[in-house]
Amino acid sequence: MIQVTDLQKAYNGVTVLNIPFLTIPQGESFGLVGNNGAGKTTLFRLILDLIEPTKGEVQIEGQKVMRNDAWKTITGSFLDESFLIDFLTTEEYFNFVGKLNHKSQGDIALFLDSMKDFFNDEILGSKKLIRDFSKGNQKKIGIAAALLGDPKILILDEPFTALDPSSQIRLKRFLSDLQTRFNMTMLISSHDLNHVTEVCERIVVLEKGNIVKDLKTDEDTLKELEAYFAV
Amino acid sequence: MLFLNLIKQEWSKNIRSQGFYKNLAVTIILTLFTLYMAAVFLFLGFSLDKILEKVDNKLNPMELFNGAMLYIMLGGLVIRFLMQQLNTLNLPPYQVLPIKRSLLINFLLLKPLINPINYFLLLVVVPFAVKSVVGYYSISVAIRFVLSFVFLVWFNSLTSSFLKRKFGSGLLSFLVVIAVFASIVVLEYFKVFSLFEASRQLYGFIVLKSYGLVLALIFVGIAYLLNRWFFSQNYYPEKFNIKLKSDTTATADLSFLNRFGVIGELIGLELKLIFRHKRTKSILFASLIFLVYGLMFYTKKDFADNSGMLFMVAMLMTGSLMFMFGQWIISWDSSHFDSLMTRNIPIRTYIKANYYLLIAFVLISFVLTTPYFYFGMKIVYLHLAALLFNAGVNVFFFLLFATFNTRKLDLSKSQTMNYQGMTYKSFLIVLPIMFVPMIVVGALSAFVSLNFALWTLALVGLAGLVFHNSLITVCVNVFNNRKYKLAEGFREGE
Repeated sequence: MIQVTDLQKAYNGVTVLNIPFLTIPQGESFGLVGNNGAGKTTLFRLILDLIEPTKGEVQIEGQKVMRNDAWKTITGSFLDESFLIDFLTTEEYFNFVGKLNHKSQGDIALFLDSMKDFFNDEILGSKKLIRDFSKGNQKKIGIAAALLGDPKILILDEPFTALDPSSQIRLKRFLSDLQTRFNMTMLISSHDLNHVTEVCERIVVLEKGNIVKDLKTDEDTLKELEAYFAV
Repeated sequence: MLFLNLIKQEWSKNIRSQGFYKNLAVTIILTLFTLYMAAVFLFLGFSLDKILEKVDNKLNPMELFNGAMLYIMLGGLVIRFLMQQLNTLNLPPYQVLPIKRSLLINFLLLKPLINPINYFLLLVVVPFAVKSVVGYYSISVAIRFVLSFVFLVWFNSLTSSFLKRKFGSGLLSFLVVIAVFASIVVLEYFKVFSLFEASRQLYGFIVLKSYGLVLALIFVGIAYLLNRWFFSQNYYPEKFNIKLKSDTTATADLSFLNRFGVIGELIGLELKLIFRHKRTKSILFASLIFLVYGLMFYTKKDFADNSGMLFMVAMLMTGSLMFMFGQWIISWDSSHFDSLMTRNIPIRTYIKANYYLLIAFVLISFVLTTPYFYFGMKIVYLHLAALLFNAGVNVFFFLLFATFNTRKLDLSKSQTMNYQGMTYKSFLIVLPIMFVPMIVVGALSAFVSLNFALWTLALVGLAGLVFHNSLITVCVNVFNNRKYKLAEGFREGE
């Protein structure tokens, strides 16, 4: 599904990411952990063609992502607030994203209805602009918009931070459900080792731009990760 | 002490914003402009007495100046109402510290008074006082004259910030201010009520009587107390801090755009962007000012034979919206650029949406300038040629140049004279677009004829329209090459 070959990103001669080879098969839930500056967001941005690799390439479904539009039809993503359009109301925003994915008004309504629990009655039905929502609610809006196009690949950067405990648990259930029902490929980065080991079947640890661990999740994974990060 | 500290922190806030140094070129240009204006004002100050001597032989220059005082006050209020930004100290971080609230409010109110721009007109007033007032009266009158002007500035600054806080700076209050000002001018013109006479009497009293300045100070005091009263009524920042107030959403019905598919959606998005941000709205108003250029140029005999100049004016007017928005058409999207790049929007569609939006801008501006057709057939031909040239050629220059503005634009901030996110490049880019056609038309009409010049440019424009698909492909390729630079620049912020 996603294939990374010989990927390098350097800023002013300093290599911040160096991944010789990485494949993520379809339907895998892929967790990315690492301390600040390890290169998690850089990797995601490279996959989403938002920055230019210094070397190497990323392919999605056998096609290079660079300067290509094809992967956009099957990818949903939310990295940060710049993925929102903050001067729209939530309804306008979901309509906009829905239309881009050729959804009818009815499809969009149906989708938003399925999000009702996750939204906890706080997102829809007000004339509020997205920029006036709290960080946590903005995150919910972004995650929902990422899912609106029925993507085959979902990429989320730190989806659990800024969410309240109930929403974190709901999101976890929700993601597992998406994976089992639609066999969605998911790439999730997180600082919360608990959550990420619960949701993801595979955990990759990045340190200073290099892959230092690539684990299949089992009952010992959490302990192993905690041991690794305890300095 | 604390007060000075607050001023120092505001200063560091400005100095430490990353834009300060990056924008050095813009700062230099603005400084030069300021120096130029200062020179002009000084010159005016030194020659004002001679000008006023010639106006009226019954009144001496100072009496004339005094008569204008209230007009200066009203005009100043109007300008401040339009341009002056409210001093919004970011209160919350200070509110939790043990600082007296009244000190913070005094800071909010009095800080604008130390802004040197307020005293720019003193460059006129002081030389005038020295040259003329001293001669007619005495040094002490001259000093009182200057002081009365300083008090007027204080009064204006305080009153305008009170009016703005109390009534907001929306379109309605703007219209009210303009209406009040206009009706006073009309009353004066028809000699119903003379503000000039009232002003002359009032300021004659203030300046000539030794205790007159007390009256001026009382006015300042009243304006200050009005502000204090406002803050006592509105204790919490959310009540008066414009920035924290959430805008009411104007949900205009743009559903007619749905017919145009994704391109329609993107254009609708851009229109919402323009109408929901202060900065873009004020640019919209500013581009209307372009539309009156014709009145200045078409009516003058001096320009009648200067075809190049006339064409440039026609081009600026029929392209006013495009000239104001064109080169930022991508930067406007800077805060949600990543969103547009990762969603299901082919790059070609994105560029096409921008293209059609600019074309629509050109058409709207053209329609708005049709009243000029009244000036004769020559203007009709000029405008038609300019329309074709704008829509066929200039549009692509703007689409291409837009990819070179890689600074994030902060749309939520302010209005007039906002240069945030603009670099010297932004100034340079417009020059060839404006002057090359002017030179071409000037040369062709000098050596052949104006008709020939207009036909040439119109046909070039027409060719641009016919081949727009291939030209858009060029823009797409350039955009694709610049995309990472744009994304990176927009992410960096200021």
